[in-house]
Amino acid sequence: MSNDADKPDIADSDCLEAFDHLYAYLNGELNDQHKLAKIEHHLAHCRSCFSRAQMERELNQRIKQSGKAETPASLQHRLRKLLDDI
Amino acid sequence: MPEQNDIKTWFTQQIEANIHSLYAVARRLTRNNADAEDLVADSVTKAWAAIGTLDDQQRFRPWIFRILHNRFISDYRKKAVRPVEISFDEASNPSEGDDVTSVLIQQPDEFLNWWANPEQEFVNSLLGEDIMAAIERLPEAFRITVVLINIEGLSYDEAAEALNVSPGTIRSRMNRGRTLLQTALWHHAQDAGLLTEQHVRECRS
Repeated sequence: MSNDADKPDIADSDCLEAFDHLYAYLNGELNDQHKLAKIEHHLAHCRSCFSRAQMERELNQRIKQSGKAETPASLQHRLRKLLDDI
Repeated sequence: MPEQNDIKTWFTQQIEANIHSLYAVARRLTRNNADAEDLVADSVTKAWAAIGTLDDQQRFRPWIFRILHNRFISDYRKKAVRPVEISFDEASNPSEGDDVTSVLIQQPDEFLNWWANPEQEFVNSLLGEDIMAAIERLPEAFRITVVLINIEGLSYDEAAEALNVSPGTIRSRMNRGRTLLQTALWHHAQDAGLLTEQHVRECRS
């Protein structure tokens, strides 16, 4: 996958390792400095993984925007009464 | 020791600050508005009754999400609306080392071709409802993990506390859940004609 002209080869160990840590990296959960440096180096040199990381970043934003559910007024009133009564 | 009135005031403030999050998570678990309302109200009642078990006020969010999740499992899961979920062999629970490979090899070849070099416009072409419909079709363990982390912004440690699993399990569920989500969105994009002709050609070549 490092060569984006190639067919995908999921046995490419550098790309697999990058993917294994990608979500932790994008979610700010990759605290191991060695792994952090390694994935950043890989993303800077592999167009395929860079593209996927960009797509996942955008998808993170869209999930966050789309996932908020409007709380019904009926529930807000119910909770207010419940909290008043406790 | 704070006064009971102080605790009640603090608890009320926390509920009011988190009401939208509690409803959003309950809605994604039950997939039903009425049950989501009942689940939130039951969880708030239960949380107040168990307020003495909250050791660290800074951990209020994982604590109350855990109560809500437990209430869902004990009282709501059986009657929850169950759309056709994305199939996933939960019995194949590989070790950390072959985690990614095992997820990927279950995906269609055409998806892997696209995934190797995805088009950047893809995400923008999806409606919010497309994304949420795909999330709602994720198996429950992956769905709740994606919702807590990617929508509610919990850390892996907080999500692990809320779901009573290890942070390593959260990490694995995130990798698997997001890969399943990606595959589902790709299928949807194919069905809806959202992939560009160039990518369709490349996938078929």
